[in-house]
Amino acid sequence: MARIDRLKALKDTVAIVGIGDTDYLSDYRSGAKGNTSERGSGALDAYGLAAKALRRALADSGLKKSAIDGISVSGMLEESRTAEVLGLDPAWCHSASMASDSVIEAVQAINAGLCDTVLCLYGTAQRSANVQYGGPQASGQLSYSFYAPWGMTSQGGLYAMAFRRHQLMYGTTEEQLGAVAVTFRQHAQLNPNAIMYGKPLTLEDYLQTRYVARPLRLFDYCLVNDGGVALILQRADMAKDAAQTPISISGFGWREADRENTQLRPRLKDFYHSAHHGVRDQVYPMSGFGPKDIDVYSTYDSFSTHVLLTLEGFGFCGEGESGAFIQDGRISIGGELPVNTSGGMMSESYMQSWNHQVELVRQLRHTYEGGPRQVAGAEVGQYVFDGSGRCHSVIYTRGN
Amino acid sequence: MATPRPVRVMDPLNAEFWAFTLDKELRVQRCTSCSKLRWPCAAICDECLSEAYEWVRLSGRGKALSWIVFERSYFPEYPAPHPAVAVELDEGPIFVCTLPPGVDVDSLTDGQSLVLDWLDGEDQFGEYNLPVFKPA
Repeated sequence: MARIDRLKALKDTVAIVGIGDTDYLSDYRSGAKGNTSERGSGALDAYGLAAKALRRALADSGLKKSAIDGISVSGMLEESRTAEVLGLDPAWCHSASMASDSVIEAVQAINAGLCDTVLCLYGTAQRSANVQYGGPQASGQLSYSFYAPWGMTSQGGLYAMAFRRHQLMYGTTEEQLGAVAVTFRQHAQLNPNAIMYGKPLTLEDYLQTRYVARPLRLFDYCLVNDGGVALILQRADMAKDAAQTPISISGFGWREADRENTQLRPRLKDFYHSAHHGVRDQVYPMSGFGPKDIDVYSTYDSFSTHVLLTLEGFGFCGEGESGAFIQDGRISIGGELPVNTSGGMMSESYMQSWNHQVELVRQLRHTYEGGPRQVAGAEVGQYVFDGSGRCHSVIYTRGN
Repeated sequence: MATPRPVRVMDPLNAEFWAFTLDKELRVQRCTSCSKLRWPCAAICDECLSEAYEWVRLSGRGKALSWIVFERSYFPEYPAPHPAVAVELDEGPIFVCTLPPGVDVDSLTDGQSLVLDWLDGEDQFGEYNLPVFKPA
C-alpha cells in the first residue's frame, strides 16, 4: 500500500538541473551505424551517444563531471561499464528500465543520503544493432515470442490487439486514432531535431498508410533510431544555485500490472487501468495537482494506443471517451492539453521515453518562449509510462 | 511431413503441453492446492505458490475477445496477411492463437462463440498439433 504521507515528504526535494540529448535527425540521415564501417559523421555506439548527451547536460547545468556522485543508466548501457567508460566515480550506481523509474529511483537515492547529484543516462544504438521487436529474432518479454507457433508476435501486435478491443467496446475509429500520429507529426514540424521534421502528415495521408498489424498502421508505430539522453538531478537546496531554472520533481507514482501479462489480460480486459489508477492515486495527492492542473502532458508512445489508454486511466477523459477527446486540436500545442510536444517517440526520436523528460524540462523552463513550440505559461508537466506490465508517472514543476 | 511453423518456446513443462496435442487434447495446468488454471505453463501456481498441478483438458469453447491481421510478414511460415485472435476460454484463461485457413477474420464479432480446431505442425523439436479456434 502506497503511503501518501511518505510520498508527500519527498515532494520538491530533487530538481533537474541539466539536460542533454543527441542529434537525432542528422544522425538518422547519416545512417548512424555505430560500430560499423558505414559510420556517419556523428555515429557512435550507445556509450558514445550517451557521452555526447552527458557533455551537453554538463554544459547546460554548469556542473563539472566530478560533481556527479550517483548514476542510473538505461537502454543499452550497463551501469558499471558506463562509469568506467565515462570516467565517473559515483557512490550510488543503478540500472534502470525506463526514464521514469530512473528518475524515481534517483529521487529516493538522494533522499536516502546515498548521493546528492545523480546522472540519469540513456544510450542506444538499437537501429545500428538491428534490434527486433517482432519475428524470429524478437527480444524482450515472453509475450513477444511465446505465440510464435501461431504467428503472433511483436509489441505492435499486442497494441493492435488492445486498440481492436477498444474499438469493440467503445466504437473508437481508425480516423479518431489518426489524430495521435497527425498531432505528434505536427509537433515535430516545430522541432528541427525531430526525425520527422519537414515531413508533415495529414489525416488523409495517415489513412492511406499501409497497415503493419491491422488496425495499426505504420505511423501508429514509433521510430527506431540511435541516440542518447542525459538528465542531471540534484538535491533541491543545492539546485538553487543552478545555471538554469531548476525543474522540480513534485510527484511520482509506480504500480505494476504483471499478473497474467503473457495472456494479455491487463491489456485486453483492463487496458492497464488498474495500474493507471494506482499511480494516479499516488502522483496527484503527492504533488497536490490533478488532471485539470496539467499544462503539458507526455506519454510513452511506442504505439498510438498508449495515448488513448493513459488519457482515460488518469482521468483526463472518461473510459471509452479518448477517441473523441483527442480530436479538434485538443492535444496540440495551443490546445487544452498539449501532448508529446516534441513529436514524441513516433515523430521525434525513440529514446524509450527519455526524450519526453527533456522536452518537459524545456517546456517548463520556457526554452521556446516567443516561438510556436512553447506551451504558453507552462508551470506543471506530467509524464506517464505504461506498458510492459507496469505504469509510472512523474510530475515536474517550474521552480520558483 | 507436417507443416513447418515458427519454433515453440520449449522446456520440460511446455514439452508436456505439446505432447498432449499429439492426441488433439488441449490441456493446461491446474493447481491441485487451490484449483487455479495457469497459462502459459509455469513451475508454480501464481496464486498459492504450490508446485503441485495436474493437466486438465479444456472444453475447447471460448469467445472472441480481440483480433488483428499482420499485413507485414514477420515469419516466413506465415506470409501476410496473417490473422491472430485472442480467445477468452470458457474456463477463464485468455488463449492467443490464429484462425484456421479459410476463416475470414473480418467476419468475427465481439464475443462470438469459438471452438477448438487443430492444424498440423512441425519445428526443430518435432511434430505436433497446433490448437487454434474457429467460429462455432
